[in-house]
Amino acid sequence: MNSPPETPSSAERPAVTDAELLTAHINGDPHAFSDIVKRHRDRMWAVALRTLGDPDEAADAVQDAFVSAYRKAATFRGEAAVTTWLHRIVVNACLDRMRRKSVRPVADDELIEAAERETPMPDQTLEREVSMEVSAALKLLPGDQRAALVLVDMMGYSVEDAAQVLQVPSGTVKSRCARGRAKLAPILSHLRNRSEANRVSSAKGAELRDG
Amino acid sequence: MTGDTHYDLEILAELAEDLLDAGTAQRVREHLAVCDPCGELLADLAAVREVLAATPTPAMPMGVALRVDKALAAEAESRRSGGLGLVETPDWDELMRDAPWERQAEPSRAEAQPEQPVRLGVVAEDGSVVPARRSSRRSAQRRRWAMPAIAAAAAVAVVGTAVTATSLLVAGGDDQSGAPTVALPVESSAASSAQEEPSRSPARALAYNVTNSDHNYSNHELRMPLEDLLGPAPAMQGTDPSGVDQVAKCVSAVSKRSGLEVFAVDQGQYNGQEALVVASWKQRAAQTVRVDVVDPFNCKNLRKPALGRW
Repeated sequence: MNSPPETPSSAERPAVTDAELLTAHINGDPHAFSDIVKRHRDRMWAVALRTLGDPDEAADAVQDAFVSAYRKAATFRGEAAVTTWLHRIVVNACLDRMRRKSVRPVADDELIEAAERETPMPDQTLEREVSMEVSAALKLLPGDQRAALVLVDMMGYSVEDAAQVLQVPSGTVKSRCARGRAKLAPILSHLRNRSEANRVSSAKGAELRDG
Repeated sequence: MTGDTHYDLEILAELAEDLLDAGTAQRVREHLAVCDPCGELLADLAAVREVLAATPTPAMPMGVALRVDKALAAEAESRRSGGLGLVETPDWDELMRDAPWERQAEPSRAEAQPEQPVRLGVVAEDGSVVPARRSSRRSAQRRRWAMPAIAAAAAVAVVGTAVTATSLLVAGGDDQSGAPTVALPVESSAASSAQEEPSRSPARALAYNVTNSDHNYSNHELRMPLEDLLGPAPAMQGTDPSGVDQVAKCVSAVSKRSGLEVFAVDQGQYNGQEALVVASWKQRAAQTVRVDVVDPFNCKNLRKPALGRW
């Protein structure tokens, strides 16, 4: 739950650090940057996919982000972990994309309606169902709240790490998460109630089920 | 806050994040202790976190990964041609792709190579210089990079097996008659003394087979089954330990890049340039191998790694 962005996604820590690879890239090593990409692309993909909620958009954003990181490598000052820096570029690429598509914040009842509209087909497995429902719900949040929830609740980063990525104070991350969760609660409680027969997702639910 | 008695989701979510001032937090907690509907809302909020955390995050699809790789390759290419300041080892494969000699010059070169009695780019015993055999058609692009290659050669001594005097790189010269411009003799005593003690050969302890064919490989040849090419070459022995270390360094670099197990390395040339041909099992059962061609100094790829057959 609390794995910080610094932790490589692979099980073993690689011998060459990200910072060393980035330095090698700046110094002209033509392979160093692809090594960085290989290490982190799955995480970056997850962040972009969850933040944008659309695979095509996410692919564009991740590509923009990596190309931009490639170009901007020399401006990396080492004040943060390379992964934090990469996350920041990916999140910003996603937020840029959202802004360009001028996604407006939506009212709560609109959210619920939309989520019901996008309710997936009943013959899908529960896990996929949940995943699609979550995606649809997240899409209806303002970008800043969405990005905070993706990093903290979905990717499991600490509030402090998310604050570094988003370049805002920790308190701001907390309040974005709080507001985002408050908006999602009615939608996902609908999900929770709907699947209560199969799956109990909270202690309160267990209490209800067991009488 | 809704009315005087209940609290809305946002307040409850802020309570959970410890964002409320102490007085408000106290009042909300007291209310929660006696209000079931608000307790239920709090459970809904907790469920949000659980549902989000439980939502799987899939790995990047192969298609997207390839797209990103392609975009980065294009970026690297535009940077190289735009001269934006990165000093990069040229990617021979990119530079020479579609170049006429890649296809047309190959047959003659491939035939001529095996008969060649002396190593390419070597100072013979009598002190005369045998120029490296090169394609008569040479690109201006490629000559441009000759100087860094010489600098690299000066830093790393590569000692041959059979010839006492050793390493030389030739720059310039548009055809075979062109005079070689640089010779870098390396002390030969290291080579000969090492030769007398073949038992010390570190190659035997390695997980991969190292040969030293000094064959000048072409792309065409590397597409053919490699066992015929790499198999019969003399095993490397009595070589300067620094050369062996260099091979080991490149093997480890290649293996790290590919994530595959290297099983054979041949010291030779690639289109006239000193190179290590590194073979790794892709699928052993299917006899498919990944072939990396790297320069022996910096272990950089001289062409794109390709799939081949053993």
